[in-house]
Amino acid sequence: MTASTGQPHTRKPEPLEFDKPRVSIATPEYRYDMQGEMPEAERVERAMKSFVKDFGRTAAIYMESCIHCGMCAEACHFYEVTKDPKYTPIWKLEPFKQAYKREYGPFAVIYRALNLKQKVTVERLQEWQQLIYDSCTVCGRCSLMCPMGIDIAALVSQARHGMYAAGLIPHELWSVTERARLEGSPLGATPKVFKDRLEWLSDDHEVEIPLDEPDADVLCAMSSIEIMKYPDSVVATARIMNHLGVSWTFRLDGYEATNFGLLSGNAAAQKLLTMKIVDAAVACGAKTVILPECGHAYTALRWMGANMYGQPLPFRVMHIAEFLAEQVREGKLRLKKVAKSATFHDPCQVVRRGGAIEAPREVLKALGVELHEMYPTKGTNWCCGGGGGVVANHRADELRYKTFKLKMEQIEATGAELPVTTCANCRQTFDDGQAHFKWDRKMHSLLELVADNLIEDES
Amino acid sequence: MDLLEFARGPALQWSVSIFIVGVLWRLLGVFLLRSKKDLSEPRNPAAWKGLRLIALRSWPRREFLEGTAFGEVMGYAFHVGFLVSLFFFAPHVLFFADVARGLSGTDLQGLIGFRWPTLPNGIITLLSAISVAALLAVLVHRLVNPVKRLISNFDDYFSWFVTFAPLVTGMAAFAHLAGWPYERLLAYHLLSVELLLVWFPFGKLMHAFTIFAARGTTGMIFERRGASL
Amino acid sequence: MSAPSVGEFLRSRGVTRRDFMSFCASTATLLGLPPSLAARIATALEQARRPSVIWLPFQECTGCTESITRAHGATLEQLIFDAISLDYQHTLQAAAGDAAEHARAQAMKDNHGRYLLIVDGSIPTGNAGYSTIAGHDNLTMLKEAAEGAAAIIALGTCAAYGGIPGAAPNPTGAVPVGEIVKDKPIVNVPGCPPIPVVITGVLVQYLTFGKLPELDALGRPRAFYGQTIHDRCYRRPFYERGQFAETFDDEGARRGWCLYKLGCRGPTTYNACATVKWNNGTSFPIEAGHGCIGCSEPGFWDKGGLYQPLSTGRWGDARTVGTAVGVGAALGIASAALARKRQRDAEGG
Repeated sequence: MTASTGQPHTRKPEPLEFDKPRVSIATPEYRYDMQGEMPEAERVERAMKSFVKDFGRTAAIYMESCIHCGMCAEACHFYEVTKDPKYTPIWKLEPFKQAYKREYGPFAVIYRALNLKQKVTVERLQEWQQLIYDSCTVCGRCSLMCPMGIDIAALVSQARHGMYAAGLIPHELWSVTERARLEGSPLGATPKVFKDRLEWLSDDHEVEIPLDEPDADVLCAMSSIEIMKYPDSVVATARIMNHLGVSWTFRLDGYEATNFGLLSGNAAAQKLLTMKIVDAAVACGAKTVILPECGHAYTALRWMGANMYGQPLPFRVMHIAEFLAEQVREGKLRLKKVAKSATFHDPCQVVRRGGAIEAPREVLKALGVELHEMYPTKGTNWCCGGGGGVVANHRADELRYKTFKLKMEQIEATGAELPVTTCANCRQTFDDGQAHFKWDRKMHSLLELVADNLIEDES
Repeated sequence: MDLLEFARGPALQWSVSIFIVGVLWRLLGVFLLRSKKDLSEPRNPAAWKGLRLIALRSWPRREFLEGTAFGEVMGYAFHVGFLVSLFFFAPHVLFFADVARGLSGTDLQGLIGFRWPTLPNGIITLLSAISVAALLAVLVHRLVNPVKRLISNFDDYFSWFVTFAPLVTGMAAFAHLAGWPYERLLAYHLLSVELLLVWFPFGKLMHAFTIFAARGTTGMIFERRGASL
Repeated sequence: MSAPSVGEFLRSRGVTRRDFMSFCASTATLLGLPPSLAARIATALEQARRPSVIWLPFQECTGCTESITRAHGATLEQLIFDAISLDYQHTLQAAAGDAAEHARAQAMKDNHGRYLLIVDGSIPTGNAGYSTIAGHDNLTMLKEAAEGAAAIIALGTCAAYGGIPGAAPNPTGAVPVGEIVKDKPIVNVPGCPPIPVVITGVLVQYLTFGKLPELDALGRPRAFYGQTIHDRCYRRPFYERGQFAETFDDEGARRGWCLYKLGCRGPTTYNACATVKWNNGTSFPIEAGHGCIGCSEPGFWDKGGLYQPLSTGRWGDARTVGTAVGVGAALGIASAALARKRQRDAEGG
């Protein structure tokens, strides 16, 4: 598939600038992107087909239940900071609700026969690209508000499948997904780069980093953001694993935990990326796969992995924070006290939607910090604004910065010294926001905080 | 055949039939769709505990209350008014008792084992009036609130109308609105209810059924993951 | 021979001035007129010529006649009734056969354009042989008699709306007077039977003012049929308070609570029973513990069971519901199957 941008902004695809701090395209102003060359009718056809294929009882129940109360808007950070009604979460699904009624719902026959619901047009999908990708982080806060109990975020993920099939996704998301699919990493952390980095990190930090062990109890994976931008997290992982005396390894055939297939809506790529880790874990007989500080990686493997694999996974899947909490609970991990106050930013996919709500807090408790919870916190904490691929989508920057103000206010209000999170994507969003607003708070990694405060045995 | 007889007879039979056909059609058409088994290892195997979301989601979390309190309060006001008048106004109970008798051959009391209570007319009148006021308030809100205005469609306004009409015609019939013959008011009331029944399966009024399915489904999925409900 | 006036006739029957004035006052009240008009009624009645009246009973049960002539003793109402020149009523008249028919023909001829025609019973439009009088079928007889009538009073529910003969399946094709005669003023005085004073009231008004009373949309005199039984029912406060008799022998029934739940049709029945009452103002059905059956309303016989509460409908039965359930389930299953097929096709494609 080749990339092209859509009307009315005809533009040659520009080379990606990988050297910039973040993957970026020079001119992000245009409204929507298109991939591939195909007639408009085919785009719609593909979107609808993908949409129909995906659909099941759960999504149908959701589609049938919306009463247009508009309350989900109150939960969405994009609406909260703009008060623009188009950011109402359920409105982001409007073409897909339309398509559902016309193509798939119980009365589809009537809707089609009487043309009560118009056929979805390519223009409409193009218009909605921005709503589905730029102004939704799939954080699922709206899903906690909906009085009907509709999981709106889950529907957005399904809508993205349709958009991907139609070649109607933001170009940057499309290209990083392609890169991940072809090179093994969205950000250039190819196996060769990873290997070089590990060698360099091992030397620099005097830490042993097992790679490609044929047998290991634990397989660790990293996110490309960490490999390329926060290598300290790689070191921290190694130091903690070694400290605990765990039989563990990284593997070049399955080290990358991020999954842009999930974020972009490319289900085939999602499966491919997931299967790399699954196969690597099976190959080394791992009993546990530890996922890095990455939110959507957790969703991709912990909750969707087995369904991609087609059977229950033959190993446990844990987020690193869950693993650390377990070690603390079992008394294996002893930590120096950090005599500071901290506040915890809940990564949506790990906490709200992932269910690892208390684990990071247990670790923070073990670190002895004075935890100042934000308001709101845990399940209803505000999203960093960069999840769901938004931070990788440069044209959404302006909007994203607006939402970031919410986070800054929230963190300022706690008065805590250390903002901590356990998601590299959130961290990246915070760093970017910090630079943009010249903010004086730096987001910290829970993993690195633990690694920095290990009580080494005297022996 | 006068209007009242039409409303009590053929119109009622058709509307009840359409209601039943439509509701089953829509519910089965959704519930019989394929549902893939989730193979991931549950954090909480007792996913059914998530069904508590059905009750939990009846009131928003504190964090969301500020922006939604108006809608919630008004929503409850008109739902409670509507449902209490529907089920506890003596003439309505007679209607349901007659239906029960027709279906089962026994009276309502024999069917359910206890006497269906009715509320004094004064209370019903008050609740209906509150319901009417709340419905007017939510209509105005739908028209002036930018979010609701944007996302609203024909279904929203028509469903509002078919909910509003039986309340108003019912109150008018009960009050023997001056100058209007009772049998005509009663006929209008019945016809408005029949309009509601006919529209019910095809519009958003179906949430009366799907709300439990949607909340329950989400509750179980989230509970399984240990996610926030 | 000039016919005596009503006043002369009444005096000859021994009615005192006092009784007569009292009658005029109460009639004025019934007709919804101010009491000051009682004197005018009296004057007018005194001088009114006894009008010729032809009464044709068709498909009827004689209940209406009974109600008016035999309900109770010799009252002023009955005397007023006597005060008219009833030239033909085959149930009441002494003459029979040709003599009777001759009297009718004579009266019609003598008073052409001036006589009052009273009809009770409905008219069969099916086989003309369903109801005949002296070899004449009802339809022809009505058309002939109506032709020279000044006005027609359709007495009783059968004549006014078809009544029991007209109830489903209406084997005789019974229709009310109003469906046959279109060019004459018709006053419907429905009821099964109608209240006696209602008919005398109509007569008095006709005699006094020389015109028919104001009618409602169903052709009934507003003065008597302007309000529902429910509107004027002495049990109404129980309805408002939600106190209902559940059965005919429960505590509520003994306490005289509202009979709504026992099928009372008071709220949809327009008649004067609750105010005028029956048997010389003794009582009316609800007072006797039975709900109103709505006998003065069109189609009353076909409006469901007499003990079925008004708020119930004829919503069908278990079979209707069963059919609907079957159709709904089939459509639901079919639409789900269709959706699944579309999914399989999408996956294959």
